[in-house]
Amino acid sequence: MSKMTLGISRSRDVLAWRIFASVFMVFFTFLTLAPLIWLLYSSFKPHPAIIRNVFALPTQLFVENYTKAWRLGNLGLYTINSVVYTASATVITVFLALGAGYGFGKFGYRISGYLYTFFIMGLLVTAHSVLVPLFILETRLSIDDTRFGVILPYVAFGLPFMVYLATSFIRGIPDSLEEVARIDGAGYLKIFWHVIRPISAPVVATMTIFSFVNNWNEFVFVFVLTSKQSLRSLPVGVNAFAGGMSRDYGLLFAALVIATLPMILFYVFFHEQLKRGFAAGAIKE
Amino acid sequence: MTASREKKIAYGMLVGPSVLIYASIIIFPIVFSLVAGFTEWSGLGVPEFVGLKNYTRMLSDPVFRLGLRNNLLIVAISVFGQIPFGFALAYIIYRRMVRGHDFFETMIFLPITISAIVVAKLWNQIFSPAGLFTQLMRIIRDDPRFVLSVFEDRTFAIVPILFVILWMYTGIYMVIFLANLQRIDPGVIEAAVIDGAREHQILFRVVLPQMVNIVFTTAVFAIAGSLKSFDLIFAMTGGGPAHYTEVIAIYMYLNTFKYYNYGFGSAVSMMIVFLSLGLITAVQSVFRRLEARYV
Repeated sequence: MSKMTLGISRSRDVLAWRIFASVFMVFFTFLTLAPLIWLLYSSFKPHPAIIRNVFALPTQLFVENYTKAWRLGNLGLYTINSVVYTASATVITVFLALGAGYGFGKFGYRISGYLYTFFIMGLLVTAHSVLVPLFILETRLSIDDTRFGVILPYVAFGLPFMVYLATSFIRGIPDSLEEVARIDGAGYLKIFWHVIRPISAPVVATMTIFSFVNNWNEFVFVFVLTSKQSLRSLPVGVNAFAGGMSRDYGLLFAALVIATLPMILFYVFFHEQLKRGFAAGAIKE
Repeated sequence: MTASREKKIAYGMLVGPSVLIYASIIIFPIVFSLVAGFTEWSGLGVPEFVGLKNYTRMLSDPVFRLGLRNNLLIVAISVFGQIPFGFALAYIIYRRMVRGHDFFETMIFLPITISAIVVAKLWNQIFSPAGLFTQLMRIIRDDPRFVLSVFEDRTFAIVPILFVILWMYTGIYMVIFLANLQRIDPGVIEAAVIDGAREHQILFRVVLPQMVNIVFTTAVFAIAGSLKSFDLIFAMTGGGPAHYTEVIAIYMYLNTFKYYNYGFGSAVSMMIVFLSLGLITAVQSVFRRLEARYV
């Protein structure tokens, strides 16, 4: 946020506005945080204690919830799967989108306009509208129930927005930088790697972080396109665990915290870039 | 000659892979759905062409209508709930009406990082008989047997889900509005302040007119996002009880993967695309009129 002062007007309604604003803001923040804080401390209470009094803070740290949920829910394996899906899909999507962004932004071919529009239209397509044919396609190609078959749709659905971000950024890079490299005799791919990619570092950061969070929370592709337990991601695993035989709230809460904690840590470090990603989608030019 | 050839090859290598993946995973399946939607097909054997039968069957199915209604309610809560709330929060932060705005902003945006599955399971527990909300209501209403019965009500079963959607996504709209508010020329507002403009005048006369575009963009976001609402509801209620909380995406999922009506499921998929386009076109025309009047 910029440091300029946008002092509120000095009329007599200032106080009323401030009071209303504070109440509204505090209320909204409380409503957002309360369930999460409650989830966190309840996850350290054994099931009977949660039933006895839902509000009470834990009297002792009942870590057994965590060890048991981790073991019974197979969460170690699912975490590894989630990391594999998320990391590979993110790297591939960002890399491909950056390449496409360079092509669309700087090559000046007429076909770029059509292809770009084609990608932008993809922003309206929901995963569910392609689920049926995608499932059939993957079954026919025998890539259902494989990691590859999961990562492919992650990448495809990440592309439209990432191509949009990359293209808008690369368009704004001055042509002169590219021209200097051309005079030095560098080829286009070399320019892409040694000029465009380093200059695009800020947008690459935004793209990576945005795409990482989306991929981490992705649910439906793994859910529909795989049936092997060993391929489940964390959201799918947690869904199965919560819907399964376990009626133990302590275990359930521990599993929910385990699934959430990595993203919260991620958020602590990268919330600014994440905000930028969301905001970039709707900046008025 | 060789330079242009080199350029074309480079272009193909840069753009090709994205286009190929995008076309085969998104465009091809959509075209496939469009065609399969006119057939009756169980996934095996030869699809049988049935014309518009899937669409007429869908439109006359009360479950589909209930799903459509629920989807439209989700669109409504997004457009008339998340957008105004998001704007109000952004405006409060932008005008520095509270101290520690960075803290508030970061906290309200936090749910965006949490998986819809986790959110669903968390709120399910909160609304359950032994859950936080139920226990809180028992104390407030002094009724030790209070349970949330709204889920058994055909008309209102969707309401708690609407609330959770509001809880989860308002932060996105706040962030979008804030980013755009910060692009307003600060001189304009300073001038208004010097002229003695009151806060509501700054809000309605100076700021809001510049936000019309963004309201439109966020409305498109909201519509596209609303029709996608699957994960949260699927993990919360699965569309139940008795289809009360079903949305079109879940209706599609059940018909396809539970009852193996691939043709019918494809038609429902296409319906989601058509609805999305239709609603966005409608918003666009409303926006054009607003623009003509105010901008």
